[in-house]
Amino acid sequence: MRLTLHRAHLALPVALVLILGCLLPLLLLIAFSVFTVDMDAFEMVPDFSLANWAQMLTNPVFAFLIGKAVLSGLITALIAAVLGYPLALSIANLPIAWKGIAQILLLTPLYTGEIVRIYAWRVVLGSEGLINAVLEGLGLVDEPVKLLLFSPFTTHLVLLYNTLPFMVLPIWISAELIDRRLIEAARDLGARPFEAFTRVVFPLTIPGLGVGLLAVFALSAGDMLTPSMLGGTSGATPMAMIDNLFGTAFDWPLASVLALSLLITLFATASSIGFLLLRFKGARAVLQGGLK
Amino acid sequence: MSDQSVSRNPATSPLLLSARGLVKSYGRNRAVDGVDLDIPERAFTTFLGPSGCGKTTILRMIGGFETPDAGSLILDGRSLVGVPPERRPVNTVFQNYALFPHLTVFENVAFSLTLRRGAQDPAPRVKRALEAVHMGEFGARYPHQLSGGQQQRVAVARAIIAEPHLLLLDEPLSALDRKMRGHLQIELKDLQRRLGIAFVYVTHDQEEAFALSDVVVVMNKGKIAQKADPVTLYARPADSFVADFIGSATLVEGEVLACTPGNATIATPLGTITAPAIEGLQTGGRAALVLRPEHLQLDGCSGMILTAQVEHVVFKGDRYMIEAGIAGVTLRLMSNRPPEPGTLISIGFDPVASFITRIAT
Repeated sequence: MRLTLHRAHLALPVALVLILGCLLPLLLLIAFSVFTVDMDAFEMVPDFSLANWAQMLTNPVFAFLIGKAVLSGLITALIAAVLGYPLALSIANLPIAWKGIAQILLLTPLYTGEIVRIYAWRVVLGSEGLINAVLEGLGLVDEPVKLLLFSPFTTHLVLLYNTLPFMVLPIWISAELIDRRLIEAARDLGARPFEAFTRVVFPLTIPGLGVGLLAVFALSAGDMLTPSMLGGTSGATPMAMIDNLFGTAFDWPLASVLALSLLITLFATASSIGFLLLRFKGARAVLQGGLK
Repeated sequence: MSDQSVSRNPATSPLLLSARGLVKSYGRNRAVDGVDLDIPERAFTTFLGPSGCGKTTILRMIGGFETPDAGSLILDGRSLVGVPPERRPVNTVFQNYALFPHLTVFENVAFSLTLRRGAQDPAPRVKRALEAVHMGEFGARYPHQLSGGQQQRVAVARAIIAEPHLLLLDEPLSALDRKMRGHLQIELKDLQRRLGIAFVYVTHDQEEAFALSDVVVVMNKGKIAQKADPVTLYARPADSFVADFIGSATLVEGEVLACTPGNATIATPLGTITAPAIEGLQTGGRAALVLRPEHLQLDGCSGMILTAQVEHVVFKGDRYMIEAGIAGVTLRLMSNRPPEPGTLISIGFDPVASFITRIAT
């Protein structure tokens, strides 16, 4: 399916939203990033300066925070893919009545707010929490396992829990769209069930897997609440720092520099993921020709 | 693969596939209800019937995509029960082709050759298979860049490259327009002769079945209604279902008054008629007289003369098709001149050319 020129007007509303809601703030950020703060008057003045960019590049704290966010996003996306892919395929193979139930179960966590979920996890994972109570009750541990709450483990467990539906849904849909006769054709031509999977099913679900990876990466790399409320001392994020710089510190130029740097890094990482997936044999043909 | 010493005549070729008592049900519905079948080597066999008659289910059982509830299926002297599709010496051309959309034409055709480790370079064989279906130039294309007819050819190339003992074709031409269908029928028949392998073909199109097949198996409600060559099927239908499904026919029911070997006399609304008949009719039972348009002649003056009233006249290009009513029966015949609707015409009819058959249950 190609977007021909005479249909281009259909994209106009989205284009407007993108320009007004995304490009404009971005231009403002770029402008702010080369301004300076007059600390005496406590206001931002449009005096050109690259000092903030220099600080960004020289102070390792910023690079560390951004790197941590990217790594966090990548780890969550990879684990979500490993857990979500088989789950998505099994849902696609369920009888039709069970699919509806699976979809409700899959999406239920999303209907509760993020804050509610975070406090629920605290109740489950805390020192006085459910899991520790069970472990102690069974005599498996003498004192509460501290690692369960306020650690990188907690952060990633909850990020995974929050983002798994965004991995499962697109893979499920792409698996659902595969004509069953393609699998029969593969078997007919001599492929064992596992070969039919690797040669036919997997390549045809790469678009879904790609969407899932990108969605989970973006959601978890850009998350602030989960790490800061459940990650304890490990919970520092570039987002929280940007929040501080804009708010408490009133250093908008530095905040803009950090925000832009984070944006560029996440964008570059996401593009690399997309590019790598398109290099997979045939993924491009599927996107161009559809599944028929 | 195939033994060159065996006979060229399909009718006397050794047996390739043999089925006994095949049954397959979906819930309460018996899709295939006790089918016995023998398919010789090198034969072109077609399963013909309306949708839901069980023809595709039989094909899928031979291919290994459905497991029979009961019965045996023997290919090359070995039972197919429990053998998965990938281990059967059978390949399938699927309805709508089922080409792999993420693979090029070359890769689609090479698929079965590249599955095994240490396989030789598939290129020469792929090239030969693609040339056999006149698609040699298209190896680098993806399926979505091909027309329906081209996709169909690729599907055939992909299915014959592994040299199956039996090729199954599931309504392979049904998605194509009429002209392309006629063209590909000739190509398929030609290919089957050149390859010398048995084809089992499924279609609901009687013309297609006649154009292609050595043997046509007409299916009705999960059972075989008749298995014969096209000429026999047309002239000596085993029951009224076959007579009605094959070609154009008017069926006139009546009581059997007398049976002699090869002939029967029945009392019909058109009068008492003696005509060639199927074996096994019972005196006093009911039977159906099969009247084909070519048995009836407008203004004919030999044999029986029937006077009927013209109901419809339809221009068919080369001739007119006339529907005319007599004693509650609508006769269909062809003519070079169009009579006026409502007028009475006399129709000549030679009973010896017609046929009396059983009434289908």
